[in-house]
Amino acid sequence: MSRTKLHPASFRDPSGFVFRFDGILHRQVNKSFQQDFDEFLSSGLYNNLIAKKILIPHQEIDQNLTGSDLQYKTLKPVEIPFISYPYEWSFDMLKEAALLTLQAAKEAMTCNMMLKDASSYNVQWHQGKMIFIDTLSFEKWNTNKPWIAYRQFCEHFLAPLALMHYLQSPLQNLQLAYPEGLPLPLSKKLLPLRSKFNLNTFLHLHLHASFSKKQVKKSDQNISFSKAKQENLINSLENCIQSFSLNAHTGVWSGYYNEAKERPDYLTLKREIIENWINGLALQTAIDVGANEGEFSFLLTEKNIQTLSADFDHYSINQLYKKVKEKNIVNCTPLIMDFTNPSPSIGVNNEERLSFLERINVDLVMALAVIHHLIIGKNIPFEKIAKCLSKMGKYLIIEFIPKEDEKVKLMINSGMQIFHEYDEDTFLQGFSTYFTVLKKESIPGSDRSIFLMNRNEL
Amino acid sequence: MLSYLLYIDPGSGSYLVQAIIAAVLGVAFFFKNILTYIKHWWYKLFRKKTKTP
Repeated sequence: MSRTKLHPASFRDPSGFVFRFDGILHRQVNKSFQQDFDEFLSSGLYNNLIAKKILIPHQEIDQNLTGSDLQYKTLKPVEIPFISYPYEWSFDMLKEAALLTLQAAKEAMTCNMMLKDASSYNVQWHQGKMIFIDTLSFEKWNTNKPWIAYRQFCEHFLAPLALMHYLQSPLQNLQLAYPEGLPLPLSKKLLPLRSKFNLNTFLHLHLHASFSKKQVKKSDQNISFSKAKQENLINSLENCIQSFSLNAHTGVWSGYYNEAKERPDYLTLKREIIENWINGLALQTAIDVGANEGEFSFLLTEKNIQTLSADFDHYSINQLYKKVKEKNIVNCTPLIMDFTNPSPSIGVNNEERLSFLERINVDLVMALAVIHHLIIGKNIPFEKIAKCLSKMGKYLIIEFIPKEDEKVKLMINSGMQIFHEYDEDTFLQGFSTYFTVLKKESIPGSDRSIFLMNRNEL
Repeated sequence: MLSYLLYIDPGSGSYLVQAIIAAVLGVAFFFKNILTYIKHWWYKLFRKKTKTP
């Protein structure tokens, strides 16, 4: 079996590609990109980007691991533990990624280089911030030419952010439907009339969209540009993005903990039980399913556990992201994930962007006060929930909330029907194929119980 | 027309519009600078006047 495995998403750029050698991530720089890559290092741009934590650092490997004649250099970049995609980010996460991309372009310009690729997939969440991961996206700057990545930037960043800003609605899923970026004519149609009265939005989206429909003449490609024009363009994009916001604070589950805090004993006792359990397990990675604004995710991050905080509610994840930034937490990844519809695999051969369940493999899965919503609210049987959770990780901490609980009563009274039998025995029976119960604790003062389970090796 | 668009370099479609946008931005920044200069000058004048006894 070959020790080299090419990365399924790394084939578009002729400058090089990403591959795994004995399971370790590497990047090959091709000879065709030699001059630009040498300039990238010698101009000091690489060092600048690393010092400012804009680009992922790499080590040079003195070996041709692929055995290819095209090889110029082999790099070993720092690997991101969990790859997330723009359609799993909240508004402010995408905004940070957009501003980072523009910052990378600006840094490049100070070294007489330019960013040739402005795809949102070139940015990843790493150690509490967005970071640029494509080392081969910087080329020598031809100051007479307009920015090659301008349209891509507008389609990948500006259009989705503008739509969310003007419509005040979470639309991250549009990026799943259009992985090559939102087509500008479509964005123009969706934007309200008032967006035309903002000069930056009018120029970069409305006017840009009108021109993208026009036939391109050969003479258009000889249009001369200048450094000052390029700087104006980047500054204008930056101002435009800075002015965007998603203000609504009333997501489905936003403010859940404010309400839950009215039951302080419940939260404290639940916290104590979980803390005791995780102290006894050797955990490095975890996912908090239904994390809301991260109250219990932070319990994990405080224990130095690399934590994915997932929730389907855009606003909750956006709030969680703001908390992560405020508290400077480096081991928490906020993620929009709908348990009933996790991100599918998309792109060429359906393997360019992997599905959520293909990417996730953690030591602990935590699902607190979640399953009653899936059973009662979404009518999903226990077995199916257990199957999905077992695909995510080894240990499971799960809370069961019985029919007698006030919140469940409220759900049932509001017209939600239980088609599946809903009691603790059925719950345990449904989970028994995939998990074995290790511990159970009742939360004093409530009817709720928490279980620690271990995945069965099927 | 659409099939024609499918065969062009992904960046080149935006070259002409970039030139136009850059020109508009140039004019906008020019007037913005003038406005900033006038504001600054006005502020200085106003401060000087209030300082005189």
